Amino acid sequence: MQQTKQNHFQLFKLSESFELDLALLAENYHQLQLEVHPDRFANAPEQGKMRAVQLSSYLNEAYDTLKSALKRAAYLLSLNKVDVEQVSQSDLSADLLMEQIQLHEALDELPMDDSALPVLENFKADVVTKLTSRERGFAEALQQGEFASAKQTFHEMQFLHKLLAEIDSGEERRLAY
Amino acid sequence: MALLQISEPGGKPAAPIHHRAVGIDLGTTNSLVAASGGGSVESLPDADGLHLLPSAVHYRKNQDAVVGAAAKAAAVDDPENTILSVKRLLGKSHSEIVAQDSHSPYHFDDSRDDGAPAMVTAAGVKDPVAVSADILRVLRDRAEVCLAGELEGVVITVPAYFNDAQRQQTKAAASLAGLRVLRLLNEPTAAAVAYGLDSKDQGNVIVFDLGGGTFDVSLLSLRKGVFEVLATGGDTSLGGDDFDRVLSDWIAEAAACAETLNSSERIQLRYLANEVKHQLSVDPSVELSYGAWSGTIDARLFAELTQSLVDRTINTCRRVLRDAHLTVAEIDSIVLVGGATRMPVIRNAVSSFFAKAPLADIDPDKVVAIGAGIQADVLIGNKSADNFLLLDVNPLSLGIETMGELVEKIIPRNTTIPVAKAQEFTTFKDGQTGMSLHVVQGERELVSDCRSLARFELRAIPPMVAGAAKIRVTFQVDADGLLTVAAEELSTNSKAEIQIKPSYGLNAEAIEQMLESSRDNATADMESRSIKEAQLEATQLIDALASASKADGDLLNKEEATRIDAAVARLQSALSDGSSNQIHALCEELNHVSGDFAARRMDLHIGNALRGHLIDAADNSIEN
Repeated sequence: MQQTKQNHFQLFKLSESFELDLALLAENYHQLQLEVHPDRFANAPEQGKMRAVQLSSYLNEAYDTLKSALKRAAYLLSLNKVDVEQVSQSDLSADLLMEQIQLHEALDELPMDDSALPVLENFKADVVTKLTSRERGFAEALQQGEFASAKQTFHEMQFLHKLLAEIDSGEERRLAY
Repeated sequence: MALLQISEPGGKPAAPIHHRAVGIDLGTTNSLVAASGGGSVESLPDADGLHLLPSAVHYRKNQDAVVGAAAKAAAVDDPENTILSVKRLLGKSHSEIVAQDSHSPYHFDDSRDDGAPAMVTAAGVKDPVAVSADILRVLRDRAEVCLAGELEGVVITVPAYFNDAQRQQTKAAASLAGLRVLRLLNEPTAAAVAYGLDSKDQGNVIVFDLGGGTFDVSLLSLRKGVFEVLATGGDTSLGGDDFDRVLSDWIAEAAACAETLNSSERIQLRYLANEVKHQLSVDPSVELSYGAWSGTIDARLFAELTQSLVDRTINTCRRVLRDAHLTVAEIDSIVLVGGATRMPVIRNAVSSFFAKAPLADIDPDKVVAIGAGIQADVLIGNKSADNFLLLDVNPLSLGIETMGELVEKIIPRNTTIPVAKAQEFTTFKDGQTGMSLHVVQGERELVSDCRSLARFELRAIPPMVAGAAKIRVTFQVDADGLLTVAAEELSTNSKAEIQIKPSYGLNAEAIEQMLESSRDNATADMESRSIKEAQLEATQLIDALASASKADGDLLNKEEATRIDAAVARLQSALSDGSSNQIHALCEELNHVSGDFAARRMDLHIGNALRGHLIDAADNSIEN
């Protein structure tokens, strides 16, 4: 009964590309989840329940991978046999590193109370703009089969995401959640 | 128990048997049970026609526990033997309980040092699980009277923000009460089901659930029968009780008796405050007296006193929106749940924050139980669920302790469950054969600021040079939101021995012991009851297997079929004269020998898209 393993795109009946119809992804995910979710097997023997938990967890993981732009990019690279774990100096441009350092410093210098919130908001908008343009670049590079360039853009996206996470936690600290 | 609940294409439709399944809202202040009994789901009344069961338990020497309104009344005269709001004690350590209420009237048995609080009562030592089980038993008996027969399964609701320990103990209480738990369902999700199942509602829904002792906010996306929780937040130590406390503190202050109150007076005052609070939801001001003092409180003063509590609830709403990356303008409706949402201070704050009038068409005290009853009907197979799906999330991040007492997050909060995540670890010393892991739950960066869930000892790692061993630890959160952990050494393919020590509350052994002792102490009536339950389970299992073999017999190999037949024969011969324990053990054996068959059947029926692919994936993910 062993069949060729499908990748996540095939699983959700989508074509293998960075640009994705997220609504369709959600719909197909729901359809599959309707079949395997543990709620379907709440009344089944132990092994059936356990299987449902495993299958449903796997679907959630696959969905999570495709839903997030960053994880999707990493996944697409790995499908094309590009190792994203290995980062070399040449993957990151000097300009980007410099920019990162400056942004980090600017973040650290902000006041610790909620007066910093509007500034953080601006930072965020700025990073999101940069990210959108990198995502476009990634999609193009991938489509052209330029994996080295796609990999470099991916690492830049990673940096920007890290920065976004820092801005977020900076906001949360100031909002006292 | 149809084997794996697979409908046979072209097969005869099964006779429309109505299974007895109920939803139970085990609340801080009040509990309820709801069921359909064939029609629409409604809460079930007791013999006097009352639906709400006060979650109060009064223990007396050599007598049965009293649960409900009578127990609540007894609290004034016998505070140390009457457990109120036990839900606030679930999953907590003694010191946490003292920190949350320094005036707790209970005597704790300090000789039990497993972190679980044990209260010394006239009827013996009772921990929160046992007290909760006493409440559940009353609801079970009520349901069995109303539905004229034994319950086959229950859905029990828990606050969405309940942590692992609190969930584990709720489930343990249900087993202790002899209930078969189909699912632990998050309270706000249950409320959303009660509101949304039969309507064609689409869009983003906020469920604001302020109960007696717990607070939850969930944001759900409703779409074609799929209820997907996008984010959840809350506070398991915030509820209507706290509003009573603020008010009673104010009265005590005003009456200048704050320093001299004893336990009994404190409870009396708390009940008075509760009445005044209810009155203030109807009238703009209330006159009251306590002892020689009398005075007036109006809505404005009440709002001032409770401002910080209300602010906490709104702050949680803000955070939930943020987690879901949505704005107030993108929320289509707001549902109010829990008796405490009747307070105008709450209604006003919610309407003004969301700039929309909230819905409260269904009785906020009953809506959770009704939703749980609907889900129980679906899970047991009474209600078709072709397009009905609940996708919930884990409320708190799960992580492990790393160097420097920092937390490394493994599964972030608001991840859709069930979820499995694997993490690899290695040894740092030559020949190292053991390793300890500390699992915590919470959002903070320091271990000491999170809740310790369990400590794991990995043993029997094959000795190798430092860094050569690869230990994969898999964290699995199931659909009840409960965590299990498995570990495996990859380079030699040997499973590392794992020992789980829950940091709080009861471990599995302790629960098993309680179950055993409750069986030992059982009256003849109880034993006959559990025999009947076991017989029912066994017959269902045998029937299910028979129909499964008939439908998919070709999936069985000869050896397997022989083993299953033998197990069936053993079970059948024990049916008439075996004890409940024997029957249970034989059912387990049969489940075990037919397990692979069940899994293959499931794989066959889950649809072409998933077949093969997922078998592979699941085998790689866990339990291989």
